[in-house]
Amino acid sequence: MKPIDYVSALNEMYQCQGFPPYKWSEFDTSPWSSLSKPLNECCLALISSAGIFRDDQDPFDPWAVNDLSFRQIPTDTPFERLKLHHNYFDHRDAVKDLNCVFPVQRLKELEAEGYVGSFAPTAVTLGMGRLYKRTALQNETVPEILAVLKREGADSVLLVPA
Amino acid sequence: MMARVKPPRSAFLNFPLGHQCGRPHDVSLQARVLKDALNVLTTAAHPGEIVDLPYEWDTPFAFSDFMKALESMLQEEGATPQDWQPEK
Repeated sequence: MKPIDYVSALNEMYQCQGFPPYKWSEFDTSPWSSLSKPLNECCLALISSAGIFRDDQDPFDPWAVNDLSFRQIPTDTPFERLKLHHNYFDHRDAVKDLNCVFPVQRLKELEAEGYVGSFAPTAVTLGMGRLYKRTALQNETVPEILAVLKREGADSVLLVPA
Repeated sequence: MMARVKPPRSAFLNFPLGHQCGRPHDVSLQARVLKDALNVLTTAAHPGEIVDLPYEWDTPFAFSDFMKALESMLQEEGATPQDWQPEK
């Protein structure tokens, strides 16, 4: 089956409602660095943008606009303590099983199995939604996330966009 | 979206949004999706490579289904609709 072209469909829908064209991030090239060691020796970190936070953290706005914040979630946090606030996708299945968008339990199993060297003990989550401040995201939020990943000793990162 | 952003390496799972790592409680599918995605770290040959994963969603889905699902979710959860409007 052909994938949905969400970008064109969303552009069309929102512009019909009078919204200005959304400036999607678009790049001509990709950054690249080779993996320095085999996967089973790498420390893997997880970043998910599905609006997940721990019950004692500042909640994400399910209709986030220009939210540049992120949360750090210890990967040993029981799922019962995690919440998902994100209304830009049908999150009902993800709420039933957070692994759909925040695959902590599966990655812990892959760590136990030795498929990855280790799974970084802190995951990073974002809420996203509509964002009209991409420069601030790149210049302010990203360096803070990078500092977390460096502190965790991550060699590789799995990004789950939602 | 991935093709526009061009992350260094990507694995694409053609499932409805909200199922990026597979179906709920389908542990073996989720594990396979993740292993396939992580393998791209070592197998990708050029920057921006996108690997299409060989899993199929069981029913056809289109953008109109995505919008209908959102509406039914908001109704079911009694969520307030989005009140943000564009600045004129």
